[in-house]
Amino acid sequence: MTWKSEVDEIKQRRSLALGQGGPEAVAKQHSQKRLTIRERVDQLLDRGSFEELGPVAGTPVYNEAGELVSYDPANFILGFGKVNGRRVIVGGEDFTMRGGSPSAAGLRKSVYAEDLAVQYKVPLIRLHEGSGGSVGGTSGKGTNLPGPVNAPSRFRSVAQAMATVPVATAAMGAVAGLPAGRLVASHFSVMSKSTAQIITAGPAVVERAMGEKKTKDELGGWKVHTKNGTVDNGADDESACIEEIKRFLSYMPDNVNQLAAVIDCEDPVDRCDESLLAVVPRDRRVAFEMRKVIHAVFDEGSFFEMGKGYGRSQITGVARLNGQTVGVWGNDCKFLAGSMTADGAHKARRFMELCETFSFPIVTLVDEPGFMIGGQAEREATIRHGTSAVLTAAMTTVPWAAVMVRRSFGVAQAAHYGPEAYVLAWPSAESGPLPVEGGVAVAFRREIEAAPDPDAKRRELEEMLAAKQSPFPRAEALSVHDLIDPRETRPELCKWLARVQPLLPDLLGPSAFAIRP
Amino acid sequence: MTKIELETGGSVWKLLVAKGDAVKEGQTLFILEVMKMEVPYEAPRSGTVTALHIAEGDSVAEDDIALEIG
Repeated sequence: MTWKSEVDEIKQRRSLALGQGGPEAVAKQHSQKRLTIRERVDQLLDRGSFEELGPVAGTPVYNEAGELVSYDPANFILGFGKVNGRRVIVGGEDFTMRGGSPSAAGLRKSVYAEDLAVQYKVPLIRLHEGSGGSVGGTSGKGTNLPGPVNAPSRFRSVAQAMATVPVATAAMGAVAGLPAGRLVASHFSVMSKSTAQIITAGPAVVERAMGEKKTKDELGGWKVHTKNGTVDNGADDESACIEEIKRFLSYMPDNVNQLAAVIDCEDPVDRCDESLLAVVPRDRRVAFEMRKVIHAVFDEGSFFEMGKGYGRSQITGVARLNGQTVGVWGNDCKFLAGSMTADGAHKARRFMELCETFSFPIVTLVDEPGFMIGGQAEREATIRHGTSAVLTAAMTTVPWAAVMVRRSFGVAQAAHYGPEAYVLAWPSAESGPLPVEGGVAVAFRREIEAAPDPDAKRRELEEMLAAKQSPFPRAEALSVHDLIDPRETRPELCKWLARVQPLLPDLLGPSAFAIRP
Repeated sequence: MTKIELETGGSVWKLLVAKGDAVKEGQTLFILEVMKMEVPYEAPRSGTVTALHIAEGDSVAEDDIALEIG
């Protein structure tokens, strides 16, 4: 007597589980130009590396004779796998069953993803397409007891995962409710422009509750969510989302107890980019392209921007210097003069928390005119969000280097200089309590009004005060570490990084404050 | 045909081309004023200005199409 019949049933269950929601549901998914979760996992992982967890979790269906006839697998796929040789946890809802709304076993697997990532200390990747619970409950049948009062908090592990390992997520199709919450509980999120929507509640619920008649795309398509910070990036399709996640992961360590890998760098550390000598126009009113500065300074092609579509006056991302991951933060003076807006401050805070969590040195390229002003800025509580960014910077423990590219004004500029920052100033640097253009007209109002030619008087005062904001007196007073030729920025930053590199191992482990969504 | 979309709102401070003008890649087409900053827009490629949707002094919004290069 052997266990053959049971072994056969295990095989049968596994094979039935791979059928997902059945051929019709899979064909429907494909007809809408979307992959199934198993195809997505295949596309993400190194070939043959998927080690599935709980493949036979689900609900068996028996006939009257007690024989297994079909099998409803849990509608969340979960397992280990490798991405470019590195182990990760991967998970995602199976939209071919119940539209991704969790079945009992599916829910259990989905919330296990974070526990696993924390336990094994490897990056977590979630590929989302699904919705939250329905009023019918998760089991669909039988007695379904609500969870006990002493059940572990479901979101604790979500928060712990973000404090322990890199978490990268993608919205591949419609993502609503709980999956939407988990989508944004990540260090990096990307949505497919052609197939994804992110909605707290769908059109039917919205119309019933709010009387608003909107399509899924109008409510939560990429045009909405890449501009409001719900996701960091948008990508053309599912494949492009997976490429973005792989790229993000390439900068990250496996967990907070490790440093990111240093890769071979072919870009010479002493490369001086000629264009930097003229990139900042002498006319202080003329805008320039900070991204050109970033590309000229960091390892060639290494800048990975995160959150380009929102908080656009601030530019944040990761890049490499001599092969080593650093956080990069610049201002974009083409957008609201580069000022600190409420959403820009939120983006900057998340950026700093990411760097603090994973012990990335921070390099800032500063052209900060101050907090955004005006009616809209006041309505958005800019001062609160902005001060949150300033205090986050003040609490970081990672090394900072700040390059004063142009303006550094007001309270907002303090966010760009962490504690003990190494400060280099370009000749174009200006700093002070506020930009002269705004301040002079107010502070010298009587003097200007009394002058025979008020306009000329204002200009004269502006020029006089602008001269005082020059970086030369600051260098004389050791208010900056050095004044540099802009072309020397890369070599100077590489030297700085070599000096701070030995300090990084002491920073490993959990941070005093972790990143929040 | 290439449409030049505005990255931000603002006002059109200087318009440096007219409909029918030949333009070269990198040539400044117009300058917006945004929060007291002058933001130049350059031609992404050479061609001819086939349509012009802005005039000096106009208030413009993000995503507006300023002009088209054919």
